[in-house]
Amino acid sequence: MANDNEIIDNIANKEYEFGFVTDIEMDVAPAGLSEETIRYISAKKNEPEWLLDWRLKGLQAFSRTKLPEWQNFPLPKIDFQKISYYAAPKSKKKYDSLDQVDPELLATFAKLGIPLSEQKTLAGVAVDVVFDSVSVTTTYKEKLKELGIIFCSFGEAVREHPELVRKYVGSVVPHSDNIFASLNTAAFSDGSFVYIPKGVRCPMELSTYFRINTENTGQFERTLIIADEGSYVSYLEGCTAPMRDENQLHAAVVELIAMENAEIKYSTVQNWYPGDKNGKGGIYNFVTKRGICKGANAKISWTQVETGSAITWKYPSVILQGDNSTGEFYSVAVTRNKQVADTGTKMYHIGRNTRSRIISKGISAGEGQNSYRGLVQIGPKADQARNFTQCDSLLIGDRCGAHTFPYIESKNNTATVEHEATTSKIGEDQIFYLNQRGIDSEKAVALIINGYAREVLNQLPMEFAVEAQKLLSITLEGSVG
Amino acid sequence: MTPQDIPLYEEVVNGFNRLSAADALGRESSDLRKTRQSAFERFRESGFPTIKNEDWKYTNIARWLKEEYALGGLPGGAAAGGADAKVMDENVRAAAERSRVAELDAYIVLLVNGVWQKDAGVGAVAGAIPAGVELLTVAEARQDPALSVYFERPTDGKERYFTALNTALFSDGLFIRVDASALPEKPLHIIHVFTGDRNLLVQPRHVWVVNRQAELKVIESVVTPAYAEASAGETGDGVAAGGNAKIWVNSLTEIIVHTDAKVDHTVIQTPGEGTRLVQHTTVRQKRQSLYNNYNFTFPGSDLVRNDLQIRLEEDHTETHLYGLYLAAGQQLVDNHTLVDHQKPACFSNELYKGVLLEQSTGVFNGKVYVHRDAQKTNAFQQNNNLVISKKATIDSKPELEIFADDVKCSHGSTVGQFSEEALFYLRARGIGEETAKGLLINAFAFDVTEKIKTPAVEAHVNQLINQHIPVSHA
Amino acid sequence: MLIIKNLHAGVEGKQILKGINLTVGAGEVHAIMGPNGSGKSSLASVLAGKENYDVTEGEVIFQGKNLLDMSPEVRAREGVFLAFQYPIEIPGVSNINFLKTALAEIRTYKGLPPLDAKEFLRQSKEKQKLVEFDAKLVNRSLNEGFSGGEKKRNEIFQLAMLEPALSILDETDSGLDIDALRIVSKGVNKLRSSNNAFIIITHYQRLLEYIVPDFVHVLYNGRIVKSGTKELALELEDKGYDWLKEEAHENAATI
Repeated sequence: MANDNEIIDNIANKEYEFGFVTDIEMDVAPAGLSEETIRYISAKKNEPEWLLDWRLKGLQAFSRTKLPEWQNFPLPKIDFQKISYYAAPKSKKKYDSLDQVDPELLATFAKLGIPLSEQKTLAGVAVDVVFDSVSVTTTYKEKLKELGIIFCSFGEAVREHPELVRKYVGSVVPHSDNIFASLNTAAFSDGSFVYIPKGVRCPMELSTYFRINTENTGQFERTLIIADEGSYVSYLEGCTAPMRDENQLHAAVVELIAMENAEIKYSTVQNWYPGDKNGKGGIYNFVTKRGICKGANAKISWTQVETGSAITWKYPSVILQGDNSTGEFYSVAVTRNKQVADTGTKMYHIGRNTRSRIISKGISAGEGQNSYRGLVQIGPKADQARNFTQCDSLLIGDRCGAHTFPYIESKNNTATVEHEATTSKIGEDQIFYLNQRGIDSEKAVALIINGYAREVLNQLPMEFAVEAQKLLSITLEGSVG
Repeated sequence: MTPQDIPLYEEVVNGFNRLSAADALGRESSDLRKTRQSAFERFRESGFPTIKNEDWKYTNIARWLKEEYALGGLPGGAAAGGADAKVMDENVRAAAERSRVAELDAYIVLLVNGVWQKDAGVGAVAGAIPAGVELLTVAEARQDPALSVYFERPTDGKERYFTALNTALFSDGLFIRVDASALPEKPLHIIHVFTGDRNLLVQPRHVWVVNRQAELKVIESVVTPAYAEASAGETGDGVAAGGNAKIWVNSLTEIIVHTDAKVDHTVIQTPGEGTRLVQHTTVRQKRQSLYNNYNFTFPGSDLVRNDLQIRLEEDHTETHLYGLYLAAGQQLVDNHTLVDHQKPACFSNELYKGVLLEQSTGVFNGKVYVHRDAQKTNAFQQNNNLVISKKATIDSKPELEIFADDVKCSHGSTVGQFSEEALFYLRARGIGEETAKGLLINAFAFDVTEKIKTPAVEAHVNQLINQHIPVSHA
Repeated sequence: MLIIKNLHAGVEGKQILKGINLTVGAGEVHAIMGPNGSGKSSLASVLAGKENYDVTEGEVIFQGKNLLDMSPEVRAREGVFLAFQYPIEIPGVSNINFLKTALAEIRTYKGLPPLDAKEFLRQSKEKQKLVEFDAKLVNRSLNEGFSGGEKKRNEIFQLAMLEPALSILDETDSGLDIDALRIVSKGVNKLRSSNNAFIIITHYQRLLEYIVPDFVHVLYNGRIVKSGTKELALELEDKGYDWLKEEAHENAATI
């Protein structure tokens, strides 16, 4: 077993494998955020008046709001005027079939392991691909259509289903929710839209794959998922970006709406470029994700595996409005080098007999900092509400940090809230035991980490679970020499 | 509300300026004067905390700041309030007597609004100050060049709000020094009585220095006289008798526990309505020292805010913090604790339990901070809350901030009700529901009270719990 | 198979093993007995390569190779198996997945292809029976929530799966009731062959009634003070260790 310095060096030297740039002709808006930019984006997309108005409201809220100050690590300066708010592959309007997609783009996604042609697609996964700001293609669309399921790019939804979009967009994350949500409202480019009709169980995993490519751009996609009464959908997202010295901003908004007896399962494997070992470059991942269990017995479950980004702030939340509704949050976050991850969840118990469960596993290595920040709020009417929270932190090396900030607010005396947190390092005796059975230290660490994260990984759909497991092992490769 | 709109803010700023103009600080060292000046400036900047400040997120003091308060006991002896003149009356004496712990052989120190009443005659039977212990008033100590250093808090620019305010304007309190290797034969029982014939801000400052290998046992009782029963209404002159006067206490205690020294510290807070109690305690622990704190808060005082900060400045220390808060009425009880692990191989354990009755609010914020150098830290923290009434609220925020890897740290927090099974079991044995609940609350509190090492004090606390528990739980 | 010469080792400067000499041939079972604190478990740990032990003198040759030069996992792959006195719990890592990984690593080291899933399953089933190891436990997290007896059976189950040349059983009998002891012993006896060897570390003679050793050594104060055949174990049971201690001190005095 090597000493800690070697361990840390090994982790630090592991390179990001999705750091290439695609050379493709792009339509890029000039840098800067102004009413003009917003009108430009809106016009580019032929948007209706109401949507432009809403964007402008977002812009107003954005200019009013200050950057947050609650975090325990300094926020680097972000110059919002240096970012370009729109970048799309140059194309003739819209792709009718995959043949029309730039071969360079197809090659990019093949390299990322995301085949775009339906024949090659992972069996049973429909994919919507977002490249920089724009949805490039959506697979299996026809098949889903037969069931009445709508799965398309956000832009297409605005054109084809304006009544649905207008009704629900901003209903869970209002335009003035927080500075990044306001920014997204003003400048969002594209994203995915899902509608599952009453009583339909979506037969396949729906998936979006995000890629930031162009320099000095931000990605501001918006996802809206509506599961009507008694329906079910499982949705996955993955993401990567090229290696750049500059920091890039990702400020997405995800809104989930689950009606009575509906269930939405939302899984993320986040692997944006984390920056180099000196903390240069990398994505600032400031994402607002929130779901609402509108009806009784609804369920929303967030699962995330976070290994990328220079800074992550992300608190996928659930508003438990319907009686007997359930919210879940399962998270594994890995930080190394100089990465900072501040993530957690908020569970708002409003309805009676609502339940929430939070399992968070942080792993810090190198100089990485990992914080769990979570809120469990029990309202006065949430009789018999229950929450269970377990936050564990694992430290590798003595220069990293692990932090836990749970907030518990209860206004109901029939509620039960339980929070537990532990911090530990990988036990040398555990590694020795595995060594003694012939397993080298590196594999031993991978095994222990995967075991440690198992409760979360188990929540992922099969294809993703394997990917995530690999990603964890690769990310922490060389953690013990 | 901007700081300027708060009457007390204006009163404080004017008070300090008057003091500076009159050059009224007597023989205080220039360093202490500098400390006061910079603390004052920091307070002038920060004003009083609002809920926008993370440390006061759940404790909104705005409603109490609407009232006017006079400054009681300024350092120059330039009494702005009338309190200093008339402190010992029958009500004060009765309050002090009521706080005494039966069967406890202790040396009693009575402080009224932070001023030691040496000849009050309360507990006169307690005899002489135990050998090895030196007691001084802070009014004396702060003018002694050799002791002045204990009142100069580090001006790291972080001190704000109430601590800055106290540093700027404190005048008196109790200075305790325990000689190296001294084992005093009996504990000290410090009884703090706060009283006034009009609304007052009182700011005591205490410093305890426990030298190498010495031991100190202290019980502190914080009380107000029971004017309501004694005079108010009867005479129709409640204000003059002190009945409706509000007391804002902003006290600061600094305890230095030197190498191998041991301190056992119990605080019992039972002041009545009309009291806003803000109590800050900083404990600095040196190598292999031991510090135990037991904190009990009972119904009465409108606001109780305890800030207990433990600074583990050297290695191999041991710390135990136990707290029980029993809140009722409209009371807001806020316990903030910080265990700051700066050096390796220190052990800390914390257990705080809360029982929330009626429309009370409980706040718990416990932070464990482990610095990079603090390897081999063992730090544990637990907060459990029993919410009895429908209208009660609890906000709990346990925090871990860890920058070292070879550590064992954990925290837990629970919010809940009586176990239905336990309640049923007791009722099935013929115990009435109210009694059963009382039994269960006592059982819940027992985990904390059983930790008290002095049986007489444990009995005293249990008696206080019993006094408050048979209240209606609805 | 194993030659230990003048082995000295300790922890944090404290000398525990003070010159161990021992030769173990293929097909042999050696029992090492001795009072508490004599260095029995330390010897097992040093042979397995536990990090916090410093070897200050002497050598250990295993199948012609210098064992002390190898990392713990290479020792395991070469065929040294330690049945731990206190098997560690590893939450979330399933027993079967762990075993599959270990077996694959060992086979790769030996240049063998990995077992196919079917064959692995067949072997696993067969060897579970050997130690009456509950199939349900196989799929649980490694040792997590196992009883003492289950942990020890799991150790022998792993031993059976990995087929090491040299097995060191460190107080495998401690904490076992008589039935469990019988089961574990039966397993070990079935695994005995002319190709492998066992070192059985124990406090009590009882285990040796079930696993009959070829040789018995008494470890005291970091040295082997007496060696003999299985009769020595009976003698120890009768007389305790005190007479040996006296003998050892006398010897030490005369040296």
